[in-house]
Amino acid sequence: MSLAAEAFMSQMAAAEPWPENATLYQPLKEDQILLSDCASSLAVQAYLRMCGLPVQVFCRANAEYMSPSGKIPFIHVGNQVVSELGPIVQFTKAKGHSLSDGLDDVQRAEMKAYMELVNNMLLTAELYIQWCDDSTATEISRPRYSSPYSWPLNKILAYQKQWEVRRKMNAIGWGGKTLEQVYEDVSQCCQALSQRLGTQSYFFNKQPTELDALVFGHLFTILTTRLTSTELAERVKSYSNLLSFCRRIEQTYFEDKSS
Amino acid sequence: MGCGGKELLVSLEVSNSWWAGFEGSAVMALVYLRQEDLTMTSGGTKMAYAQFAGAPLKLRKISNPWRSPSGSLPALRTNQKETLSRPSDIIIHLRKQKFNADYDLSAKEGADSLAFISLMEEKLMPALIYTFWIEPKNYVDVTRRWHAEHMPFPLNFFLPGRMQRQQLEKLRLLRGDERLEAGEELEKELYRDAAECMNLLSQRLGSHKFFFGDSPSSLDAYVFGHLAPILKCKLPNGKLQQHLKSLDNLTNFCTNILQLYFPKDGRESFSQKTSAHSEGGDFDHVPNKRRKQFLSALVALGAMLSYALLTGMVSIQHAHHEALEEPPDLQDIGSHHDHEDEGDG
Repeated sequence: MSLAAEAFMSQMAAAEPWPENATLYQPLKEDQILLSDCASSLAVQAYLRMCGLPVQVFCRANAEYMSPSGKIPFIHVGNQVVSELGPIVQFTKAKGHSLSDGLDDVQRAEMKAYMELVNNMLLTAELYIQWCDDSTATEISRPRYSSPYSWPLNKILAYQKQWEVRRKMNAIGWGGKTLEQVYEDVSQCCQALSQRLGTQSYFFNKQPTELDALVFGHLFTILTTRLTSTELAERVKSYSNLLSFCRRIEQTYFEDKSS
Repeated sequence: MGCGGKELLVSLEVSNSWWAGFEGSAVMALVYLRQEDLTMTSGGTKMAYAQFAGAPLKLRKISNPWRSPSGSLPALRTNQKETLSRPSDIIIHLRKQKFNADYDLSAKEGADSLAFISLMEEKLMPALIYTFWIEPKNYVDVTRRWHAEHMPFPLNFFLPGRMQRQQLEKLRLLRGDERLEAGEELEKELYRDAAECMNLLSQRLGSHKFFFGDSPSSLDAYVFGHLAPILKCKLPNGKLQQHLKSLDNLTNFCTNILQLYFPKDGRESFSQKTSAHSEGGDFDHVPNKRRKQFLSALVALGAMLSYALLTGMVSIQHAHHEALEEPPDLQDIGSHHDHEDEGDG
């Protein structure tokens, strides 16, 4: 988002309190949504619950196209539409709700760094596994992504998305990686998160922050999504403090949803 | 204290004069750790023997990226004949070979390293790409000129342009916006992210000498590799440099590492840069410029003359010639008549 638009949005946001009818949009849960989108959406939902802000989740087949930046999820609050966790955090901050106010400068730097770590490694690994691994792409990603559409649109859209993601992977240097190397990177990332978490209940102090929401979103989705192989989930499961972290957040904030 | 007894493990190729090989400097920064001996031999290809955390490393500087094993620089060729290009891959490989500068780090510090490296890749790297390759003034004055000068003849015409297109493509994919173009708006956004990243690094560094303790680690190498080009290169549009200079502890961090580990290179290339600039300004290469001017004037003159002759605007007086050859006494009157005829024609 451009600077001028952001400043304008902050001003508008600060004007009104959080309404009751805020909605969050994501693709269809049963048939369409993919691992990476589900993780991002869950992260935002966790963050909003942590802030105590009510939001309704709507599933729409064209959620990706409705989103202002093309990314899932996005929230519709009052007369504004904001997508992705970063801008949503700033938006809620403008409304006066923030989870990271109690952190000092060094901690805030670390929090931002770890959020980038998750985006850089976990999210990219998820995208890679979904779209660059042939078996997953053929069996899971392409059919799911294009399920709301009929032939020939479904073929076209699926291949277009796959091509786009592969180009991005090449640009950032992940194009030449093998699946094994990607799993290795996921392990490294989880190890870093596990070491940072240690024996604490949340990453910073006793209160959750947006980092906790983000990590929860990704790890929980990885653990509960069925892919062609269980390798990814196994890698995450080998870190027990991360498992208990996910369970704790699920019980605290999502108890009405847990089945 | 040198490379004598140890066997050669790997060969690392970076672009020539690694100061301006901006990608190369990120990896060259790795090379400084624990090095004890840096010798450079003159000759076609400069070779430097360096010890990286005790790792014997052969450094080859080449200017043509196509001669590198992976097609791009920097490239690390291991003794298993694998080729690695990304700095993080190179670090991981060296670590696996037990040359570990991060040995003394605690688990938490290791995790922090990884996190901050991700932060820099996400926030600082796009701004670096923009400032060296996309920003029009910087690209034309500094980057393209440098690459064109250091590449062999046919390549210097199209290779810099191709590299620029690749970098623009990369930036577009990183930002997820296909229609990205160089401009004020994009510049402000990227520089704002980069400034925030530098502020965060500065806050994390505090007043310490290195990021973790008293000896450098891979995070220090990475930070140095990204910040040093900003600090050292004189770019026309130097907003990033200004911001970096306002953060004292980062500036001191960079100059400290420079002095400690790159004493010869730092002085040599810095003086190269300053001397180039003192000669520079408007007159780049004086002898070449004169010769080019002379040649182009000659070519223009020749073109004009031949055009004039061909269209008949100017005709050469053949009569003069004949009159002079024949003896003037006998043919006096005849030649005069001839003259007049020719003159009218």
